[in-house]
Amino acid sequence: MFNSLRMSMGWVHTWMGLVLGFVLMICFFFGALSVFDREIDRWAIPDTRFEPQPMPSFDKVLKPIYQQLRPDPVDLAATERRVIGSLPDPETLKLESLFAYTTHRDPVLLIGGEFAIPNQPIDPADDHQHVHGRATVNPATGELLNDDALKIGSDWFYPMHFSLNFNWMMVGYWIVGLAALVMLAGLVSGVIIHRKIFREFFTFRPWKNLFRSSLDLHNMTGVVALPFHFFFAFTALVIFASNIYLPVTHTTLKPLHEHHEKLEAARTGLPHEPAGVAAPLASVDAMVAEAKRRWSERDMAGEVGFLSMNHLGDENGYVSIYRAGSDRVALVGEGIHFKASTGEVIREEPPRSVVSSIDEFLTGLHLQHFEHWMLRWFYVFGGLLGAICIATGFVLFVEKRKAGHAKTGSQGSRIVDALAVTTVTGMVLAAVGMLVANRLLPADLLGKGHWEQTAFWSVWGLAFLHAVWRSSPVAKARHNPAWREQSLVLGLMSLCAVGLNWLTTGDHLIKTVFTDTYWAVAGVDLSLIVTALIAFFAAAKLRAPVSEQKTDNALSRNKQVNAYD
Amino acid sequence: MNSQAALQTTNRIFAAILGGYAFTWGFSVLGITSLVALGIDFHEAETGLSLIAFLVFLGLFLWTFAAKSMIRVWLVLAGGSAVMMLIGTFLQNSLLS
Repeated sequence: MFNSLRMSMGWVHTWMGLVLGFVLMICFFFGALSVFDREIDRWAIPDTRFEPQPMPSFDKVLKPIYQQLRPDPVDLAATERRVIGSLPDPETLKLESLFAYTTHRDPVLLIGGEFAIPNQPIDPADDHQHVHGRATVNPATGELLNDDALKIGSDWFYPMHFSLNFNWMMVGYWIVGLAALVMLAGLVSGVIIHRKIFREFFTFRPWKNLFRSSLDLHNMTGVVALPFHFFFAFTALVIFASNIYLPVTHTTLKPLHEHHEKLEAARTGLPHEPAGVAAPLASVDAMVAEAKRRWSERDMAGEVGFLSMNHLGDENGYVSIYRAGSDRVALVGEGIHFKASTGEVIREEPPRSVVSSIDEFLTGLHLQHFEHWMLRWFYVFGGLLGAICIATGFVLFVEKRKAGHAKTGSQGSRIVDALAVTTVTGMVLAAVGMLVANRLLPADLLGKGHWEQTAFWSVWGLAFLHAVWRSSPVAKARHNPAWREQSLVLGLMSLCAVGLNWLTTGDHLIKTVFTDTYWAVAGVDLSLIVTALIAFFAAAKLRAPVSEQKTDNALSRNKQVNAYD
Repeated sequence: MNSQAALQTTNRIFAAILGGYAFTWGFSVLGITSLVALGIDFHEAETGLSLIAFLVFLGLFLWTFAAKSMIRVWLVLAGGSAVMMLIGTFLQNSLLS
């Protein structure tokens, strides 16, 4: 089928890159936004615009809050389908385990737990015998926050980049997983087909024709950030390996896994099963104090990042306290486990082995929980470089073919170009449109989060229709005016979002930057303004006419540059 | 693209994604059970394999498109997967008995 390695790699790069490139745009862009997901949450939920704080006292603040925790209705319905008979009244279900999680960027605290159910599963191998519940707490006052307020950053943009928010049968995750593999393949094949990689590192000729300058930008963004792109696509697969992408230990090797868990429970002294004997709960604050003392002793004093309890109210219950990883790359760790009824230490986790250290370092570097603002911004730029690399790939694909397609009457480049508009300007429009909707819809609107999601998909859908409607010039080897029009709308909409934030909350930039500094909101506003400026600049550039003659000349030269198809 | 070429391309895409996945699966099963049999902790083995597995998958994926003979590709991917699964599950059974 292919005559040479370069040709076969060229095929993989072009076609696999094109098809999965539309998905990769979403991963890179929303991945870049995820770096500041908590900050976007603050922008979208003005009630939570206060300073981050450490984990509050369990005994005084958190304990009473867990009484208010209720099973999640969605999970309740999903569980009902998996068990024999109907579930008892959700109000009567008993909490069997709980957790609390916070980071150095969270003013609010995420809590949750698992409720025990008496029903037997339909499938005897299904050992997932509980219903989950989740809530967000204001740790300063100890009250539950309105669950209806969608955390646009951490509950919409963030999952968008790894699941496309398409959870049915985990299809979104699998599409993203395939896209990650194709990203890796695209990087390796890209290096193979472009032999002069060192020279391309320094080559960018924006004054040349669109094809040449796009190719330069494609190569430059691909090569400059090559380790970054490879690393993110690779760790994306590793992070979800054991649970989603390669769950061998939950399927083929499940017997070995279970055998090991029982051995481990015996070795670590952390009971795998409840004893069935009721027991009270000792002071958790005392356990936290002891954990902090032990961390200081190890010369790594720190705050609690994650706290969990298993077998609640049972003799075998235990409390696990993990240190927040805001001062290093690896995630929460240094777990210390206590007997819930007495508060004595059952187990202190030993230092990590080499393999685990590598794994925690790699996944930690992807999930970046550390406190280092400059590095976080590098992540954002890295993600945007990836998006530019893919977007210029689309431009190359279209520019190389559209003259030929115009002659043969093929609609190929027209369709690709319309999809490129949808996943470049259309996608940013959807994100900004969601923020605009967030500020326009009243805060107490029932199901506000659903309306925001509807706005997101509607804006994106409209952008797609607009791109298709305006696409006919591409079939005549000219540009789609939708690029310019959507850039203009994006610029206006971004400024609109900043203005609406000011109008609805009173938090304008002079206040959030100078008089009453709050960087989370100021950062989102400033980013929106930069987005608007870039969008207006792009729209102005796209207004300049391209002479047909120049394009034709360029194309005949490009034939010699890229011989692989 | 004529229908012959389309068929060949489809064959390669299927082999690269599904065949490559099957091989990677077998590789992980054999890798984890072998390491556990050598006395390495189960979770260590699991983590170690998850770090290697996708690099193996990537290599197979690209090789499928670069390879001359598709018969050899399918033999290695499907055959290799089956053999590794067989040895891996055998090892698991002997570890548990």
